[in-house]
Amino acid sequence: MTDRSEMFDRLKGLIEPFNKKGVEVGETTTFAGDLEWDSLTVMDFVAEVEDSFDIIISMNLQAEIENVGQLVDAVTKLTAA
Amino acid sequence: MSERASTPTQDSLPRRFSDFATLGEALDYAAQGQRGLNFHDMRGKLARAYPYSEMREDALNMAYRLISHGVRKDDRIALVAETGPDFAALFFGCVYAGAWPVPLPLPTSFGGKESYVDQLSVQLKSCDPKILFFPAELAEMANDAARACNVEGIDWESFSDRIASKSDLPSAETDEICYLQYSSGSTRFPHGVAVTHNALLNNLSAHSHGMEVTENDRCVSWLPWYHDMGLVGCFLSPVANQVSTDYMKTEDFARRPLAWLDVISAADGTVISYSPTFGYDICARRVSSQTHVSDRFNLAKWRLAGNGADMIRPDVMQAFVDAFGDAGFKASSFLPSYGLAETTLAVSIMPPGEGIQVELVEETELTGHPGAPDRPIRYRAIVNCGRAVKDMTIEIRDENRKPLADKTIGKVWCTGPSLMKEYFRDQESTDACLVDGWLDTGDMGYLSNGYIYIVGRAKDMIIINGKNHWPQDIEWAVEQLPGFKAGDIAAFSVTTPGGEETPAVLVQCRTTDEAERAKLREQIRDKVRSVTGMNCVIELVPPRTLPRTSSGKMSRAKARNLYLSGEIQPYAIAA
Repeated sequence: MTDRSEMFDRLKGLIEPFNKKGVEVGETTTFAGDLEWDSLTVMDFVAEVEDSFDIIISMNLQAEIENVGQLVDAVTKLTAA
Repeated sequence: MSERASTPTQDSLPRRFSDFATLGEALDYAAQGQRGLNFHDMRGKLARAYPYSEMREDALNMAYRLISHGVRKDDRIALVAETGPDFAALFFGCVYAGAWPVPLPLPTSFGGKESYVDQLSVQLKSCDPKILFFPAELAEMANDAARACNVEGIDWESFSDRIASKSDLPSAETDEICYLQYSSGSTRFPHGVAVTHNALLNNLSAHSHGMEVTENDRCVSWLPWYHDMGLVGCFLSPVANQVSTDYMKTEDFARRPLAWLDVISAADGTVISYSPTFGYDICARRVSSQTHVSDRFNLAKWRLAGNGADMIRPDVMQAFVDAFGDAGFKASSFLPSYGLAETTLAVSIMPPGEGIQVELVEETELTGHPGAPDRPIRYRAIVNCGRAVKDMTIEIRDENRKPLADKTIGKVWCTGPSLMKEYFRDQESTDACLVDGWLDTGDMGYLSNGYIYIVGRAKDMIIINGKNHWPQDIEWAVEQLPGFKAGDIAAFSVTTPGGEETPAVLVQCRTTDEAERAKLREQIRDKVRSVTGMNCVIELVPPRTLPRTSSGKMSRAKARNLYLSGEIQPYAIAA
């Protein structure tokens, strides 16, 4: 469990500079709906995540990620590989 | 592994400016030389050099596989347009097999699964293809769409593994349809632009003549192959004019835009590279002020920095010059141009070296809406989009199709050999814009001494960050909410004080309860964001306030004018 909350905290840290509206970030926070990110912001953020974890988040995977919890799961899986 | 090298810029093969009868013939010729396509990774490093000779061989094998699979002349073959050798080989494989390739979009951004499957399905229904090809990575979503439309879905990796048994290829005629393009028309109500070999090659030759392509030029591009500027301008044009090209995937550009400038800096030769306004914008914003741009970039070799695909914003271009001037970028490299899928691509191009030139035009002239005498006169900077390309004629006409004098704003019409043949299986829409051999572009502009100035789009399209949003799609989405019907909603673009475009949506609302209205507006805002990916101006207006045309249709242009002039008063809603 600690691994997951660590991952959540790291990703939350990466989200903060993009969180212009100061939205409270939780597992179910959605990127488009709650954080109100447009597609360019999403891509900028994806680049940050990829560089921080040295992973690649594929187009296919991106299409399935709607909220922070799903991103935590996806990055956990990619870094474990 | 040995060190890979890009395909060369210069070659002993004599350059031909796309004077071929068919696209297949154009690749046959390019394949006799050393030039070709080069695919770069997310950080701008060369991943794969793909000479035209290799591409031709792969394309012929694809054609044989398609024919063995039962593909016949004039069949449509839908291809998810991922930038890479697979799509390139299949596109030309279809052409060699006499089938029409139909490039379809890639998914973008987070959480787009459902809307992507939906978008593919709508376009598949429109083009009625025999097969949908896609990269294996997208198999799940693409197969969902294919199944929903009764189309066979095949990933291109497994198709490439099939044995290619040589057979006779059908002959192609210059006036036959070459491909269908879906970048025009809305997502919900798509238009497949059908382009013949002759129209295509004519426009491609206009590119190299207009840009005065030299022996030392290469092309660099991150533009998606499912848009006309990416497909026609930066893939088919380099083939037909034998130009070596360096690609980045669009998604890689969106993540690391400065890698685009790295690829240009590393190019061996002078560079032609195009981008809509937002591409220049994010590069200028992303490069931090601390960085010494001259340490990282060498942009003196960027001969033509093309502008197009959306409204060109002089302020953004100036910011780009300010940010990258030290790296050698010259403002005179900017090359404004104007075009649309219905003309294959280019209508006008600025003569190289003349850069961005603007004229100030009174806002009242642009909107056709007289200003109040007590208000200050406002001006808008209109960019000169250059001269009509080779073989193209531009005319400005009034509502009754009568030609207008120089410097008078009207509808932009054009004619020439590169007009589309038709919207696929849509005679009504074709007849609405193709009249007596002329195309009504749907855009507004004026001519001045042979130069065309585009002031806006009559077709109502809203372009934000290089992405086209159609009001029909936004209106349709809102209509899906309970309690609304067609005609209750008007979507159009408004210009913010900062000069950016943003969609505004007016919705007729029958509720008198204020709390209910606030809730409704939130619902609409969420719905609109789900189709546009951004926050829009949402206004609730009283019933029967949206204006209608004489035929009873809701008029977006009138609604926009009434809203901007304050004649439509939205309900005040407490936050």
